Amino acid sequence: MKNIYLVPLILSIFSLAVIAIALQLDTSPEMIVGDSMQARSFPIFLMILKLILIGILTFQFYKNNPKPVVLEKYHTWGSMFLFLLFYLLTVYTDMFIGIFVVIFLMSILWGEKRIWVAFLTATITPGLVFLLFDYVLKIRFPRGILMNLYYG
Amino acid sequence: MFEQAISAMASVVVDPYLLGLIFATTILGVIIGVLPGLGATTGAALLLPFTLTMDPVHAIAVLATIYVSATFAGSITAILINTPGTSAAAATTFDGYPLAQKGEAGRALGIAVISSTVGGIFSVLILCFAAPLLARVAYEFRSPEYFALTVFGLSMLASISAGGAVKNLIGGIFGVWLSTIGAERVTGIERFMFGNYELYEGLHFVPIFIGLFAISELLVQSKTVDKIIKTVSMKAVKLPTLEDYKKIWKTILRSCGIGTFIGVLPAEGATVASMIGYSEARRWSKNKKEFGKGSIEGIAGAEAANNAATGGAMVPTMVLGIPGSGTTAIILVGLMVHGLRPGVYLFTEQVEKVYQIFGSMFVANVMFMLMGLYAAKLFARVSLVPTQILWPIVFALSVIGAYAFQGQLLDVWLALIFGVIGFFARRHGFSVAPIAVGLILGEMVETNLQHSLKMFDGAWWMILTQPLALMFLVFAFLGLCGPVIFSWITKQKD
Repeated sequence: MKNIYLVPLILSIFSLAVIAIALQLDTSPEMIVGDSMQARSFPIFLMILKLILIGILTFQFYKNNPKPVVLEKYHTWGSMFLFLLFYLLTVYTDMFIGIFVVIFLMSILWGEKRIWVAFLTATITPGLVFLLFDYVLKIRFPRGILMNLYYG
Repeated sequence: MFEQAISAMASVVVDPYLLGLIFATTILGVIIGVLPGLGATTGAALLLPFTLTMDPVHAIAVLATIYVSATFAGSITAILINTPGTSAAAATTFDGYPLAQKGEAGRALGIAVISSTVGGIFSVLILCFAAPLLARVAYEFRSPEYFALTVFGLSMLASISAGGAVKNLIGGIFGVWLSTIGAERVTGIERFMFGNYELYEGLHFVPIFIGLFAISELLVQSKTVDKIIKTVSMKAVKLPTLEDYKKIWKTILRSCGIGTFIGVLPAEGATVASMIGYSEARRWSKNKKEFGKGSIEGIAGAEAANNAATGGAMVPTMVLGIPGSGTTAIILVGLMVHGLRPGVYLFTEQVEKVYQIFGSMFVANVMFMLMGLYAAKLFARVSLVPTQILWPIVFALSVIGAYAFQGQLLDVWLALIFGVIGFFARRHGFSVAPIAVGLILGEMVETNLQHSLKMFDGAWWMILTQPLALMFLVFAFLGLCGPVIFSWITKQKD
């Protein structure tokens, strides 16, 4: 199978999965729903519509034979990995530690050769944003190593 | 009513806080507009969390100012570095950059500034008159009409931005499905929550939009880190001469009309408007050969149209709750977050606030004109900020903005997940704007369909007996199938 058909395939599997899950949803008694729809009806209708469109898309791919998508360089995949790292750092240490590490590493990953510039960006940006949200907008940030020190 | 509108609009000028806010936001909007990749939609998505604690009028004024000023500012980089700061300025590169290469960058920017301002102000004036009239018509709408109207809005997704009609519609349907996550409104049955009770009231728009527009753009921009930007030199922005005005005034007026009309159509935006404005300028021009080589009519046609679309796009957004573009989808969310429910109610009960917002847009247009004329050179330098510094900062603003909305970490994870989804969608030619518009319209479609079915005792075909509803559904059908039918007829004739 050609790579270009992967997208319609994934979309179709997703739509079928949604239909399967929707069919498991509870139904409401007739006196509540009346002449209207059950909660499952609308998502199922949407997915059927989507499957029809996926069929048309596949036919378009078959007729036009579009070029396969070129694989991105390490910058893109590395950035996505940094999102994962941000999740882990936020959950296990502190949100602001996560932001600092991600900004620093992302700057380096994207080609910043001056370490001090990356470090300054990673320090100043979250600092300023924290001050703005904490003092001006009165937002309380999630607790973590740094926030526990700050909030006490 | 008229006096109330005038005094509300005038109150913007005598409110120093609001004026200062518009001034600061215009500067920010122009900076956002000149930074390639960081357009009006991304900018508005990033700024939305900052407006949460503001007064409703101030908050919407900020978002609307970002919209108009960033739409204009995209032309600065389009002319100077051949890279449109926003997609709406793509048509400006066709003639703006060639004119700049001839050593007339200042003149090209001058034409762009004046055309954008005229387009923007024209559309705000139309907005002031058309919106209340449309609201009066919409007063008669009931569930069948609203259902048909939202179907029409969704059908227009077929032509929103690049990507192809089928892909856009798939994106739109995905967005509508996202709106079904959470407890169903009539029966309370939980849908697609997987035991996560933070999703009981459904997905919130703010983190999803930050993900779809800002974080996905970050991943898209990661592909351009090696790109070297070359700027052309510019002395100063020149106001168009009398000779220039004689050459472009008809084009500007035409594009004002085109842009406003395209903007009013649900789900159509500044990008489509500027492309049509440009091609119409070429079609009506006596100097067609100049196009593509630095025609001032080409610049004026594209720029007047894209800024005229901003006011036009606010009409369906504020009157019907149907966003005219990705950015107006965010403005619509801003209205909802601040308790300004779009629709007839807004124009009957909160007229003053509505006209203050219109007044703010008017002032923003004047302010970006002054900045464009006197500081374009300075702003153009901002576009040279290295991507390896800019986008990590955008990441920080995105995650904190997503968190700040409700103070939930789940929103941060949702923003990141939808950023990745948005990136993969764009990677395969799907635009993210239809997902956003679908998400907003989803609840309207389902709720109005349910109400209509109850109204007609389950007989769905009775919706077709309502003249206005039928008209919208016919428009939707023509919008979807018209191009296919017409091309088939043309082939048969040939």
